[in-house]
Amino acid sequence: MAEPLSPLGHAFITGDHGNSAGGVGIAITERKNLSIVQVTAWRETVPAILTAISNVTGLSVPDKPGAGRSAGEKSVFGFAPGRYFVVAQASDLEDRLRKAIPLETGTIIDLTHGRMAIRVKGPWSEWVLSKLFAIDFSEHAFPVGFGRATLHHDIHTNIQRIDEETFDLYVFRTFARSFWQTLGHAAAEVGYHVQ
Amino acid sequence: MTASRLPKGGRVDRAKTVRFTFDGKAYSGHPGDVLASALLANGITLFGRSFKYHRPRGVFAAGSDEPNALVTVLSGSVREPNVRATELEIYDGLVTASQNRFPSLEHDFMAVNQLAGPIFSAGFYYKTFMGPAIGPLRSTKVWMFFEKFIRRAAGLGKAGVTADPDHYERMNAFCDVLVVGTGPAGLLAAEAAAETGAQVIIAEERPIAGGSLLASVELIDGRNAAVWAREKAAALAALPNVRFLTRTSVWGYYDGNVLTAIEHVSDFKPNRTKGQARQRYWIIRTGKTILATGAFERPIVFPGNDCPGVMLADAVRRYAVEYGVATGNNVTLFTNNDSAYEAARALSQAGVNIVAIVDVRADVSGACIEIASSAGAELVLGHAVTGTHAGKTLSSITVQHFNAQTGHVSGTPREIKTDCLGVSGGWSPAIHLASQAGGKPEWDEDLQAFLPPEPNQNWVTAGSAAGYMDTVSVFSDGATKGSSSKAKPKLPSVDAPMFDASPAAVFQIEPAAKSQKAFVDFQHDVTADDIRLAYREGFHSVEHLKRYTTLGMATDQGKTSNIPGLAIMADARGITIPEAGTTRFRPPFTPVSFGAIAGERYGDLRPHRLTPMHDWHLANSAKTYEAGLWHRPMIYGSHGETVEQAYVREARAVRQSVGIVDVSTLGKIDIQGPDAGIFLDRVYTNMFSTLPVGKARYGLMLREDGIVYDDGTTWRLSETQFLMTTTTANAGNVMQHLEFYLDCIWPDLRVHLTSVTDVWAGTAVSGPKARAVLEACVTGTSVDNTTLPFMGIVYGSIGDVPVMICRLSFSGELAYEVYCGAGFGTQVWEALLEAGKPYDIMPYGLEALGTLRIEKGHVTGAEIDGRTTAHDLHLDWMLSKKKPYIGSAMKDRDGLADENRLSLVGLISLDNQSINGGSHIVSDATPREPADSFGHVTAACYSPALGKYIALALVKHGTSMIGNRAYATDLLRGKHGAVEIVSHHMFDPEGSRMHG
Repeated sequence: MAEPLSPLGHAFITGDHGNSAGGVGIAITERKNLSIVQVTAWRETVPAILTAISNVTGLSVPDKPGAGRSAGEKSVFGFAPGRYFVVAQASDLEDRLRKAIPLETGTIIDLTHGRMAIRVKGPWSEWVLSKLFAIDFSEHAFPVGFGRATLHHDIHTNIQRIDEETFDLYVFRTFARSFWQTLGHAAAEVGYHVQ
Repeated sequence: MTASRLPKGGRVDRAKTVRFTFDGKAYSGHPGDVLASALLANGITLFGRSFKYHRPRGVFAAGSDEPNALVTVLSGSVREPNVRATELEIYDGLVTASQNRFPSLEHDFMAVNQLAGPIFSAGFYYKTFMGPAIGPLRSTKVWMFFEKFIRRAAGLGKAGVTADPDHYERMNAFCDVLVVGTGPAGLLAAEAAAETGAQVIIAEERPIAGGSLLASVELIDGRNAAVWAREKAAALAALPNVRFLTRTSVWGYYDGNVLTAIEHVSDFKPNRTKGQARQRYWIIRTGKTILATGAFERPIVFPGNDCPGVMLADAVRRYAVEYGVATGNNVTLFTNNDSAYEAARALSQAGVNIVAIVDVRADVSGACIEIASSAGAELVLGHAVTGTHAGKTLSSITVQHFNAQTGHVSGTPREIKTDCLGVSGGWSPAIHLASQAGGKPEWDEDLQAFLPPEPNQNWVTAGSAAGYMDTVSVFSDGATKGSSSKAKPKLPSVDAPMFDASPAAVFQIEPAAKSQKAFVDFQHDVTADDIRLAYREGFHSVEHLKRYTTLGMATDQGKTSNIPGLAIMADARGITIPEAGTTRFRPPFTPVSFGAIAGERYGDLRPHRLTPMHDWHLANSAKTYEAGLWHRPMIYGSHGETVEQAYVREARAVRQSVGIVDVSTLGKIDIQGPDAGIFLDRVYTNMFSTLPVGKARYGLMLREDGIVYDDGTTWRLSETQFLMTTTTANAGNVMQHLEFYLDCIWPDLRVHLTSVTDVWAGTAVSGPKARAVLEACVTGTSVDNTTLPFMGIVYGSIGDVPVMICRLSFSGELAYEVYCGAGFGTQVWEALLEAGKPYDIMPYGLEALGTLRIEKGHVTGAEIDGRTTAHDLHLDWMLSKKKPYIGSAMKDRDGLADENRLSLVGLISLDNQSINGGSHIVSDATPREPADSFGHVTAACYSPALGKYIALALVKHGTSMIGNRAYATDLLRGKHGAVEIVSHHMFDPEGSRMHG
């Protein structure tokens, strides 16, 4: 099977960058081999969708705006009313969701090729991301597991908080290289490692 | 004025030396100095030349209210003008220069402007350059002649012309409470707020916290006030729920409790660490704002008040107490209020010699008398300064008897030798941010100043900003405003005499015999006479006053001039100051660099959008251009080839054999749900619910007003799923249009929309050999005419990459669009090229794509321009008569059915010359201006298929004009040529090639 190409091209340079002499403030990773599927419920079928997602992924997500869960490489989070990202390292993720979710319950669209997944991890992750996005990254406003849909520079981005200092960003593929470079500029102050 | 460093005192680190230059001359100072204090310590008192008259000016204030001491900071080829010397922290290697002088600060030729003072009075530009024509003199032409001289003669610093190499960034912050200012009110307000557990941000524009406490000689809880403030600030900064920002000026207050601030991150350092921004632009969203912004001392306007050596009294105190600098050997204070006596006490303790205190009031308190006595200063009550004597700096002042009630000056002038005059005309709460937030400031008779307006958002003012002028009251107000509790706050003890904060209502000293100019706005050279002239010429409103005289419009935004200016206008009109009113303050409170606002968008103002095959294009000689945010190949140029030669070669290859083009940029929207077909029937003019699964259809959308909105093909992937394609440019708009209708107009429809533009890489394979290319590389499906007819869809693989292929044509040739997951786009593109090698397959760019569609008469955004109807574009065959759709109700209104409307035609050049896009269609063989245009060219090219230059055009009575000769005229570019009007279907009008 052909390997999908990263949208980053020459912009992906591993190693330490920016003000890293005294250590790095964050690590940035391109997450690969993921399936990224969007599941959307009808107005009255949110509970049924969440049950189906739980059955497929094992991740139980409460019916709250933006709520989500993650475990290892699997994650689920809501980012709009009735709309969820389901992410896993499983090529059959879309098929399994499609079987579990009939049209009466909701719709499914595989966005794997349309999004690039970036993990930002480190003690300065909130600081760096706050330079780019006009949302509150503090943990009381953006709890672990929760997701957000927001914009940077006209680039739509979905963000999930994985733990206190780790965020997963899902960026439109065609903007990914441009965003990656902007992220690097924002992180240069605290030093960053690309892996 | 003979300024010097005092033997002791100040916060500067005297053990260390900092070296810098001013106007090319080397100086030294100490860490903790600002440029103003360091230069004063070196005996420099001349800092700049004034805006219009080039009068010598010295330091006037000690903070962001400074109107005079503006300098340019030079760094290599980069220059930053109009930096306030009173705030610019010195560092080793700092290079600065004075402004608005030629050839030097000391000897400025343009000082001759002072002789022409009456000419440059209020309304100079309006009277001189916008008046009526007199004889042969048309005022605009006079202006055009003199403009360059005037711009050289007047102004502030000059902006640089080289790119700014610095790095700026933005920061978004959220908090429960934002405290602006860290004087006594701000510190206690922040402490009280933090104690409630709230998330608190504290912003202080200076390098250290303390505000007025930094120059105070009071004892707070038994300790030096500045030390107390430093300890309090450190304790606050250590709290986990507090973010303490220094060197951060909050400059804008917007709706929704959004405030903006500028943080000087590293522009006070000789060397920046890697990646460190110079300045950071903060956007702070807060639940509550506490504006503890303090108060500005204001001057008294009197003749000769602008010479170097005349300063605000508080500034004299601050240079002595904070920086250990005496601004004169023999200082005099001139006041209408008690605060000058506090300054006198501090100056005396700092070792500064005070000659006299001139007070307009006939009586002052015993405490004031005691201070004057202990400072050894002569107390001159009931007098006012009526003149100054100075060369480039102050040598003496003239005082006369003054009646504070009547404003009458009398008696024999008396001269007092002094080299520094500290003036205090009372204090004005810094209500700038509160004014920006909204509401009308309220006049306070006691303070003779405007107080903040009633809040219309969740903000409060605290301390001096709220009108409390003594430290005890300020502490109390700050603690109360920061707390959510009604319990009486515990306050620090203050050991200081109480003064009366109320000034005498004296704003200007106007002796009967005028000899010197009396300045109100130092930065824009606006005098008291200018304000009275504005009144006499009918500009009575404060808004008119501001614009006519430029009072308060410079970089200092009138911090020292607004109240005196209003007072003089009120006096001229015979009304009170509150009756005269005040203008509303606008952002920014202090100047903000464009770099900081641009933030991380340096180098480019927008992101770049790249197709999956972008790197391949660049590696294979593509010349790209920007189409919206996208970067798209224009041509794949060979060495020495012109753009026209390249696109002709590429288009010819498509007509003769086969070519491929990257169409990944087309907008793509996934439409799913049981009502998807019904939804499409409503948004498209033609029917989609009847479209069979596995087929595509060309669709047309109208706006609500019946004008064409967008077009594209939509593919039915299943009974309940469609893939809509839109034009590249309109993808986002169409998505919003559809979402609006689903959310707001037809919420009952069960349809979901998702943008999938980025999911798919798209390659169009076009030309007579297109099928042969697919047959050579596609597996899992046949692509013959039966399996894949025109507008059919099949699924297969190229290599091991799954692909979806739809047979449709924009070029007019046998053509297919091959879609695959975007991550596989390059692999599929290369596989198609490999399969096409036997047919000399050629990649083609947007220019060839445009050529092929012009030959065919297919429309794009150039024709769907927001003005054309389906009928104009000969697309009325797509308008269903069986169903309503968006725009159907309005499409037949009279204006859209007018027979005089422009409609689409083709043009063929008759002189074998190219036709310029945008040319007008006229009937005259001779170019004329103005010409009677009856149409315009929308797109033009050289057609390799026809061997001619051709174009598409929108022309009045288009169809009936076919066969006529006309002229395409482009007077801007000097082109005028004969054309024949033909059908827009200029090549293969029967469509036999694409159906073959």
